[in-house]
Amino acid sequence: MHIATNQNRRNFLGSSISGATALGIGAALPACFAEAASAAPKANERILVVVQMSGGNDGLNTIVPFADDHYRSARPKLAIPKNELRKISDEDGLHPSMTGIEELLQNGQFAAIRNVGYEKPNRSHFESMDIWHTCRRKDEPRGDGWLGRYLDQQPATSGGDVPALHLGQEQQPVAVASSTVRVPTVKDLAEFQLRGSDKQSLRDLLENRPPTNPSSDNDLLNFLQSSTTSAIAASQRVTDAAQGYKSKVKYPETELGNKLRVVAQLIDAGLTTRIYYVQHDGFDTHAQQAETHSVLLRQWSDAVSALIRDLNAHDHGQRVCVMTFSEFGRRVSENASEGTDHGAAGPMFLCGGGVKAGIIGKRPNLTDLQQGDLKHEYDFRQVYASVLKDWLGTDPTPILGKEYQSLPLFA
Amino acid sequence: MNDMKFADPTWAWQPFEPTADRPWDRSLVSHLYRRAGFGADLPSIEKAIDRSPADVVNELVASNREQSDFRATADALANATLAGGDPAKLSAAWVYRLLYTPNQVLEKLTLFWHGHFATGAEKVKDARMMWNQNQLLREHALGNFGDLAMKISHDPAMLIYLDSAINRKAHPNENFARELMELFCLGEGNYSEKDVLELARCFTGWEIKNKKFRKNRYQHDSKEKSVLGQSGNFDGEDGVRIVLEQPAAPKFIARKLYRFFVCDEPRPTDAMLQPLADLLREHDFEVAPVIARILGSNIFYSTNSVGRKIKSPVELVIGTLRCLNATTNTQRVAKGLRNIGQGLFYPPNVKGWDGGRAWINSSTLLGRANLVADILDSNTTRFDGKSLSEYLHTQNVRTTDQAIEHFEVCLLAVRLDEATKAQLRKTTAAHTGDKERQMRSLLHAVTSLPVCQLA
Repeated sequence: MHIATNQNRRNFLGSSISGATALGIGAALPACFAEAASAAPKANERILVVVQMSGGNDGLNTIVPFADDHYRSARPKLAIPKNELRKISDEDGLHPSMTGIEELLQNGQFAAIRNVGYEKPNRSHFESMDIWHTCRRKDEPRGDGWLGRYLDQQPATSGGDVPALHLGQEQQPVAVASSTVRVPTVKDLAEFQLRGSDKQSLRDLLENRPPTNPSSDNDLLNFLQSSTTSAIAASQRVTDAAQGYKSKVKYPETELGNKLRVVAQLIDAGLTTRIYYVQHDGFDTHAQQAETHSVLLRQWSDAVSALIRDLNAHDHGQRVCVMTFSEFGRRVSENASEGTDHGAAGPMFLCGGGVKAGIIGKRPNLTDLQQGDLKHEYDFRQVYASVLKDWLGTDPTPILGKEYQSLPLFA
Repeated sequence: MNDMKFADPTWAWQPFEPTADRPWDRSLVSHLYRRAGFGADLPSIEKAIDRSPADVVNELVASNREQSDFRATADALANATLAGGDPAKLSAAWVYRLLYTPNQVLEKLTLFWHGHFATGAEKVKDARMMWNQNQLLREHALGNFGDLAMKISHDPAMLIYLDSAINRKAHPNENFARELMELFCLGEGNYSEKDVLELARCFTGWEIKNKKFRKNRYQHDSKEKSVLGQSGNFDGEDGVRIVLEQPAAPKFIARKLYRFFVCDEPRPTDAMLQPLADLLREHDFEVAPVIARILGSNIFYSTNSVGRKIKSPVELVIGTLRCLNATTNTQRVAKGLRNIGQGLFYPPNVKGWDGGRAWINSSTLLGRANLVADILDSNTTRFDGKSLSEYLHTQNVRTTDQAIEHFEVCLLAVRLDEATKAQLRKTTAAHTGDKERQMRSLLHAVTSLPVCQLA
């Protein structure tokens, strides 16, 4: 696989505006380059940003059913007092940390789907994450992920841009593993290029590697060859694209904030990349949950809402949707370490200008449980199906393996 | 060689006998050193050719205790970093051991167990605790897995990492019990959710107080439990024993060792693993006999194994340095390893490193090339105390082609094709007149090639 590099239509701006970004100084772009704000962008221009909450997010303390007495009795220490919540109805409130999300909801740019899970829930982080990533169980072959299969179906993009990007320092999520496309991982924009005194000759050496011993029978070697070629190409393209971005929006100084800021940068540079994938880790709150969870939700809420505000300001608000999920929710009852153990069903979240705002799904039933955990009302693949069909404009069935009833999640 | 043979466990685990097709030559010796440890320099490889494979393997595996003088030096270095209390600095003390240990197999297995009983310093935060765990892993690395599993269940760093510093009988915390079965001993699918709950009750009252393990009998649930088909008034030690008695346990460990030493892909069949699992059971979980069996086997020296693994960051960097007798700044190496996905004492999560293809993405590939560039650009990097070109001169390297050949034997599992060699000559020729620049550029180019990421 070879990714050609092309001239970024804003490249020349990079030479006039320095690469260093000063916050708070917005540089107005010449009007001819500004995206025309269109009310309904075409499906093939829409972008999906996936935020993975790793470790198992406690959904019950994210969207809190405060009117249910069972909530308080199951969690003598961890129940959040009613007067601290951000009420969204007579029954439910958002975690106090979620000011940014509350604002998105008020602006009609946030949707939550409650009680999402799957049959026979698995309570291993790794197995459950694999199920969410591949849509397959352990006894089935699963070398690729649901987004990877989506990428396999896409025609090669005109600009030769990478069709998906993973931002972060963790290993690449299986969700974007594909049989035809090597998805780049960008750990740090500043380091995403070759260094050292021989970088030019090294680039020449690695850029178009002739295939070794005609089509090697060594799959690992073929994988390394294609990964190397695409790494060199992506490094040039992404580094060029990220030059000279200006934004008035202040992102939180957190790992997630930094990653989402880069996402906005690349979207605004006109990269034709359709899928961005980031992870937000630390949700495995077996002990001393309250403080950790509060910090993690604040980081998520602040970063995602900053991204949406920023995209709106740059006229991309209607074509980007941020989808957040976790591998499972947590046990309804707290444990003795002031934490919660692994659970089953939990909420998913969508943010952006194109979503149908509000809360979908019933109030979780805290008395009809399976092994102490919430039962699911929706299969997570129903949400995927809606995103694939109604947002990305593609047939979900071949990607998900069978037909799932989609949900009314997009306006 | 036909593929039918590769699938036959009897053939696979028989001792390897060199043949005219598969001679005991520099490339197979180099493969053994690369997989059993981190690689060897050319003189060591040449020496081993004169001995039988079994002889070399037995000597490697028998060397399971550090010599006292090396140990004293390495521990003194570690203790110096412990004074500061920063676990990130502690990584460098381990890099020192990886680079200079005479007991390569022992250190390789210490690294294996670190990935297996993965514990992360960002959560434990206490450098000495991490170091004590590292010493525990080293002490049992080529010893008994059952003993190690029992000791790790009392290990402060592990229990803190898995939120089990307090475990009360009212609502037992399931984290350690689950991971003991899922990730340490049995594998997902070989226990039920009820086993997790019941095993968690066995561990109630186990806690870490003043950085030490202790049993709080007031918090121990002393009622009857039913774990994995056995019932009784069990405590935590009983719990570990019952888990290890499961037939799934030896197979689970055998599978991980196979992947670590033989190949990343494809997954071995159960039939292929059974002889290793039997050997573990027979020897009551002694690890050394299994390692010796693997490293001396037909399958290990076959085309199903040679070049069928992706080098971990440690294998790439430490391997390159060891093969060329290099010394360098251990802090830089430690930091660099973390940057490309294998921070020592900083595994990604309790599952450790997935390895194989997961080591590779665009950032880690660029990062690997950049880390080697940094190391080669630094004047603290010396080769047997000399510059690279002087060192190669002592190894009878006079021309670019001889240098390519030297790097090929020591660093590569798969030979280079002519087209690549031609490109390498061109890269080197660009620095005519500066021998040292030439050799460093060449080494940097070779280590950045896709083929050099294979072990």
